[in-house]
Amino acid sequence: MHAFSRLITLLACLLLWAVGSVHATTLVVIVSSERSPAYVEAAEALVSELERQGVSRFEMRQQTTLEFQKDGAGTPRLLVALGALAAQTVAKTDPRYPVLCALLPRTSYESVLQENGQRSSAQFSALYLDQPLSRQLELIRLALPAAKNVGVLWGQESKSKESVLKALAATKQLTLVEGRVSGDSLLFPQLKKVLADADVLLALADQQVFNPQTIQNILLASFRAQVPMLGFSPAYVRAGALIAVFSTPEQIGRQSAALAKDVLQGKGLPATPLYPSSFSVMVNDHVARSLGLSLEASALTARLKSAESAP
Amino acid sequence: MMSKIILSMSLCAASLGLAHAAHATSELDYLSDLPIVLSVSRLPQRLDETPGAVTVLDRAMIRLSGARDVAELMRLVPGFQTSSSFERIAPQASYHGAFTSYSNHLQVLVDGRSVYSPYFVGSTEAGLQTVALEDIERIEVLRGSNSAAYGARAMLGVINIVTRHTADTLGVALGLASGENGIRDARASFGWGQPESSFRLGVDRRGDDGLLGANGKNAINRFNFRGDIRPNPLDEIQLRLGGTQISAGKGGDPDRPDDLLRDQAYDSSYVQLDWRRILGPDEDLALSFSKGQETYDERLPPVIFGFCCWDVDVSGRSFSDAVSVVHTFRKNSDVRVVWGGEWRKEQVNSLGLYSTNELFTTNFSRFFGNIEWRMRPNLILNAGALAEKATLIEDAVAPRLMLNWQFNEGQTLRAGASKAFRPPSTFEKFGNYQYFLNGVSQGNPIRSSGRALSEQVVSRELGYLGSFAHVKLSLDARLFHEQISDLIVLSRRDYKNSPSFDVTGLEYQLKWQPWSGGQLVLNQAFVSNNATDEDHAAAAPKRANSLAFFQKLNSGLNLTLMHQNSSLAALPGYNSTGQTTSARTDVRLSAPLNLGASKGEVALVVQNLGAPYADFSPRFQFERRAFITLRVEH
Repeated sequence: MHAFSRLITLLACLLLWAVGSVHATTLVVIVSSERSPAYVEAAEALVSELERQGVSRFEMRQQTTLEFQKDGAGTPRLLVALGALAAQTVAKTDPRYPVLCALLPRTSYESVLQENGQRSSAQFSALYLDQPLSRQLELIRLALPAAKNVGVLWGQESKSKESVLKALAATKQLTLVEGRVSGDSLLFPQLKKVLADADVLLALADQQVFNPQTIQNILLASFRAQVPMLGFSPAYVRAGALIAVFSTPEQIGRQSAALAKDVLQGKGLPATPLYPSSFSVMVNDHVARSLGLSLEASALTARLKSAESAP
Repeated sequence: MMSKIILSMSLCAASLGLAHAAHATSELDYLSDLPIVLSVSRLPQRLDETPGAVTVLDRAMIRLSGARDVAELMRLVPGFQTSSSFERIAPQASYHGAFTSYSNHLQVLVDGRSVYSPYFVGSTEAGLQTVALEDIERIEVLRGSNSAAYGARAMLGVINIVTRHTADTLGVALGLASGENGIRDARASFGWGQPESSFRLGVDRRGDDGLLGANGKNAINRFNFRGDIRPNPLDEIQLRLGGTQISAGKGGDPDRPDDLLRDQAYDSSYVQLDWRRILGPDEDLALSFSKGQETYDERLPPVIFGFCCWDVDVSGRSFSDAVSVVHTFRKNSDVRVVWGGEWRKEQVNSLGLYSTNELFTTNFSRFFGNIEWRMRPNLILNAGALAEKATLIEDAVAPRLMLNWQFNEGQTLRAGASKAFRPPSTFEKFGNYQYFLNGVSQGNPIRSSGRALSEQVVSRELGYLGSFAHVKLSLDARLFHEQISDLIVLSRRDYKNSPSFDVTGLEYQLKWQPWSGGQLVLNQAFVSNNATDEDHAAAAPKRANSLAFFQKLNSGLNLTLMHQNSSLAALPGYNSTGQTTSARTDVRLSAPLNLGASKGEVALVVQNLGAPYADFSPRFQFERRAFITLRVEH
């Protein structure tokens, strides 16, 4: 008897699921570049946040880029592309529905726009993964108030940020100590030149400069020179950077949900792409201690947030 | 542990794979894992968290001091006495007194390798000359007993020399010095390679005419090779090898007819291989192998008495082999553990000193451990011990307990106690030194009964470290009580232990940047010693002061003024009847050189602007030495 009632329940559930998936209109499609943990985390945060806002799980669909290429997305009210590959693949199809590109850095988004002759609009926009330069400089100011010279290594991709960073640094009474990397062999001499005068090394993502092959040399050389590094991901902090400010995939997922909610309520996407408003600070306590610094990540996050909300 | 290694290797492989897949910068740069670089043993303890007083001399200070060797630099460390005499192979440095004419109560390490000589009564003079000053990144001087971490010989302190990483010295560097007192120094260094595998070969020479009244010219010739190789993100391999030749004149004491004018030649070479592996985010393992040899050549010229001649020869050789393994890990964020072992073989051979051609072998096994426990965010307990077993020497245990309490932001009090020791050297155990006339023994100035036991010290200290950033001032003070027992002395031709005595005192270093580009370093040491043996009691001055002032001037000029003086003390090469005070003032002015792609510096150094002072023995005087140095790097 007991087994029979369980079977009935199961069948009922299956039926409901089948009906739901056939008949519920898909409001949001999420296309992820791949199915690795970071994307899953972001997608899950997006789904559960929307669910909390009253959107049914059956009205959302998750795909990988490959599945999107094979099956298409149908006609959702919004497509969220997670990652650069997803954004690129979706953009190429010239979609007729609003597309929010998320979990990708600004440089990746801009090259998607360029390659597809797109422009950011209420129909096609982005939530960046990287942090605004002003936030990174403000963190330097808060964590290392004595640091006046900020070392930067410009690579082919990151150098597009040069003029913005220069202007921002000037407003915060910081001086840039710059090195230019144009080939792999040039990295080290440029790094040494920068470390000679810099009080802190600001790492800006650029495959040419910062990659798993170069990070050892960069971190070791900067540690020998007693120049702390401000990294751009938790992995940098674990490897030996003093501090980093970043947004987790979960934070990106949640903020994407808020933007998705606006679209579902009839508003457009922000015509100007956004930097993440939700972020975390992480400190390598061991590195901080050996440099004679006492930094608290939670306090720095709070101070950074209040500095940004100040008029 | 193996599974951890495999896990971290696969993590690294995974991250490498991700990066290779992505040619353009993408979110993967933000989301991928990276290998751990600054692993637990790469991160040094902070000065206010170390279990003892540490003075660090960095590269800038080394250069600005105008010093020509490490011994001379120790003048900048509170509590140290130095001599520039070559009477005991090379210039020397001792802490709170040498107690013999050789400085043998300190351990000297160069990149982790002990350069303490097992020859004679043990000595550190030649070891201090292992590397050229320009190859040194920093010198950490651990003031106070440190056998708990560094074993026998770190009885009163440790001089830890860290050479520059080869990735920081790529290219060619040349240096010259020339001036009064026959100063002729020259150096060439070549660095090559990539950041993952970089190398340096340096050759240099240091030469001068020595002290006034001493027997002649001193020359040190050296070469040092260092290679740093990182085959993968987890392993680091370092290979070092080098050689030092010292030649100097000695002798000529009119009060001692046997102290004839003669030459001494010292020759040493070494090879060292280090391997460090990162076992995980909070754990790594270091293995080290080293091998060294020394040859000492010194014989009295035959004295003709009619047709007979004396044969006095203290020449000989020594060999050292060492293997060590150190495991460092963090148990959690509050507990860090370093533990390991060292096996060391030392061999000495000298027909003249032992009246036998036997190769005396001493095997040492050491096990040590230290727990750094952060009991509270501002309270750190360091508890450590070292146990040593050595051939024919009683077993010894050297414990240490130290509490560091950061009672205020930037202010730390340190209190603790430790026990340290120095076992008798091979000569103090087996020495049998004879004079021969026509092959027939004419006397036995030293014949050791082998009864001397290890020297011991129980040290208690109270330290204070204060940093006052708003006035740019820092203070490092150490109040100490060192109870030294069983000091080994030569008495009636035999080595014996002497009664215990206490060395008490206070020393401090104050650093202040009164204005931009200016730095003032004041050291003072007040040492009192209640030894009944007059020579021991007078081994260190009761008061020693040192003031150094560094000022950056316009257009890159740098000015250094240094003054040191000390109250009455015995000189290391003379007994307490020849006590003397000393005072010395040095000045250095340097200007940068910009020669296109090459950079350099030219400097004028004047050592001892004032009157000559007695050094090593009342017979020897340190006269003014003015010289010019030139340094070019490409």
